[in-house]
Amino acid sequence: MAGNGLAKKVRDTQVWKSIFRHGPPDNARNRAAVIAGNVFLHLHPIKLKKSGVQLGYTWCMGGLTFFIFLALTVTGLLLMFYYRPTAEYAFNDIIALREHVPLGIMREIHRWGAHAMVITVWIHMFRVFMTGSYKPPREFNWGIGVILLVLTLLLSFTGYLLPWDQLAIWAITVGSGMAKATPFMGNAGPGAMLARIGDFVMVSDKNDVRFQLLGGRFVGEPALLRFYILHCVFIPLVVGVLIAVHFWRVRKDGGISAPL
Amino acid sequence: MLKELINHLAEPIVSFPIATFLFYLMIKHYKTFGSKKFATWFTILSIPVLIFFFADPNFYLIIKTPDNVPIGILLVLVAFFTWFTMHKAAINDTRMEQGLEPVEAMPENREKVWSWPNLVYTELFAIIACTAFLVVWAIVFKAPLEESANPTWAPNPAKAPWYFLGLQEMLVYFDPWMAGVVLPVLIVAGLIAIPYIDTNPKGNGYYCFKDRKWAIISFMYGWLILWVYLIIVGVFLRGPNWTFYGPFEYWDFHKIVAEFNINLSEFIWIKGLGIGMPKNLVVREIFGIILTIAYVGFIPVWVARATSFGRKFYIDLGPIRYYLFMTLVVVMMSLPIKMVLRWLFSMKYIIALPEWELNL
Amino acid sequence: MSDTKLALNRREFFSYVTVGWVMFSAACAGLGAMAFRFSYPNVNFDPEMEFLAGLPGDFPSGVDERFKATFGVWMVKQEGKLIALSNICTHLGCIPNWLPAELKFKCPCHGSGYYMSGINFEGPTPRPLERFKIGLQPDGKIKVDKTKVYRWEKGEWENPDSFLNV
Repeated sequence: MAGNGLAKKVRDTQVWKSIFRHGPPDNARNRAAVIAGNVFLHLHPIKLKKSGVQLGYTWCMGGLTFFIFLALTVTGLLLMFYYRPTAEYAFNDIIALREHVPLGIMREIHRWGAHAMVITVWIHMFRVFMTGSYKPPREFNWGIGVILLVLTLLLSFTGYLLPWDQLAIWAITVGSGMAKATPFMGNAGPGAMLARIGDFVMVSDKNDVRFQLLGGRFVGEPALLRFYILHCVFIPLVVGVLIAVHFWRVRKDGGISAPL
Repeated sequence: MLKELINHLAEPIVSFPIATFLFYLMIKHYKTFGSKKFATWFTILSIPVLIFFFADPNFYLIIKTPDNVPIGILLVLVAFFTWFTMHKAAINDTRMEQGLEPVEAMPENREKVWSWPNLVYTELFAIIACTAFLVVWAIVFKAPLEESANPTWAPNPAKAPWYFLGLQEMLVYFDPWMAGVVLPVLIVAGLIAIPYIDTNPKGNGYYCFKDRKWAIISFMYGWLILWVYLIIVGVFLRGPNWTFYGPFEYWDFHKIVAEFNINLSEFIWIKGLGIGMPKNLVVREIFGIILTIAYVGFIPVWVARATSFGRKFYIDLGPIRYYLFMTLVVVMMSLPIKMVLRWLFSMKYIIALPEWELNL
Repeated sequence: MSDTKLALNRREFFSYVTVGWVMFSAACAGLGAMAFRFSYPNVNFDPEMEFLAGLPGDFPSGVDERFKATFGVWMVKQEGKLIALSNICTHLGCIPNWLPAELKFKCPCHGSGYYMSGINFEGPTPRPLERFKIGLQPDGKIKVDKTKVYRWEKGEWENPDSFLNV
């Protein structure tokens, strides 16, 4: 066939051969080569038990979580081109994102994607529990997963402030108000009263954990900047590293769980 | 009439026991629950119910709020996957009762297949479906944006993001240091501790229920009742002033709720003994302190010594795992206990020491 | 081995290793502490903590909301006393609303309610609203100092700086 002839010609070019070191994955040797020779695909094992590829067993929720994380990274990067994290500009920039920028649904994809990621993480965890996949040898990886769950919630929480509208500021006021009540480390927590020498209060609203989180005594501009940095740089970096550990351990602990 | 009844049934004091009872029924008859017949009938019956609910303007107003859409999706997914695990578990348990291996361990499922194309294409289709879903969602629902931030005026009601509403709901019953700090930390620590507490080697890599009954019951109760149910209450049933509103009730800002909660110490010293509150703080709260210490310290020991299943647990797990597990269970159950005390006796705090910021 | 003279014997070697590890840990802890301290700025651009609230005669009985939006303070005159009441809910830091019809402060976030005096009576809040220091200047004007806080449950509302006799 002509198409085949053209395809063969393309495959025989030096450029194609320099990128793909093996033929089409239609035989055992090339199927192994395509997985092992590609930096992205080599997350996967070359072969795995049939139960591990059945959607009825895996629900694909962990993989979707990772995909949504990537999608959020991309849409988040695009949003950063138009957003300035200051009290003066933040809110107007969000409006501009909707009205002055083509494809005005970028923020929607980012926000709903964030919600979807929380849901997929929960369902993934539910599946892992119900199949007993946290049992030896995967105990440690379950712990990494729990930390990733917490970081997912924190990512979503820090992002909640950035639109700088009434919804954002009061949700964060309520949320960070709890940090104020941390035992011994928050100014309104148990034990903070005891940490005082005479008239000098050691744990006050100027040096407790809430102040560190917000960079101030209430949700203001320093809090916006801190949440922005946490949301865009710090937590994604930590999440990225932990995802690498998580996937690595899935492989090292014997791949996706299956009956022993 | 019917709507009023449902409004009334949705009130936490009624709906929480109902939810717990339904959970019990689901666990008890998990094979019936996990059958395809049940799922079919449930779906068929839920359609008119949903239409009935959506036809109500007040309910529709809440459910279509863009930020509440994810909770709708979550509920559908949770309902489906809860049924689905029970469905799979029922099949596997029936097979194992007949002396067969679980489905996942059948020879044809144990054989190895190539990642390319089996796994890679599944992933590709999942990604495409997910992308399409997100794009459609983003086109249909606008991301919410209220007026610009105003630190001098709080909207009513001011809610945390929906995934924290379970915690915010706990705030009604606990002080911030418990509901906002201690309980979340214990939830995370407890989740991480699960593999080290649960030493049961069965049920690794396949769906089942019978082989790991207690693990599944405690996890599912915490997840479905103490987490998802509380999110539902927090999202759909809490209106202005954090007052309860039924699903068909109009969010009237002036709904007046006479609520006077009293502390255990007031209950005992003033109502019980009739002698007024002692001056000394520790003496004043001594009953609450004793009760709390007894609850956390005494119950695990008593269960291990006096009950047969506790003794078995203790022997199976060993002292460290047993006490870790029981501490987590006791803390987890403190939430429903505190709820019931609030509803039955208007109990505010077991220990009320605002002087030390220590209220329990 | 036997003919080369060891510069360190086994015990000395381990004591050096110990010292080395202790110093390394201390250096790491020091860096961590510095990074931690870095997150607390020395200067903070907070709104004004002191303000002048006019003359005592300016306030009729009841709750005055003039300084709520600007300074977060309700001036409450009741039973011959004028107090400066903080408008931060002691539950989780929302801003309660003054409901004149029901004579109470009601917090929209979780429904905490306070009497006009600031004492809590409903909802999840554990303690009453806080009072700020209030006093008269030599020229007769009222000065409110928000850096000094008086709390009821600590018995500080007896303090003469926490109210003004008018």
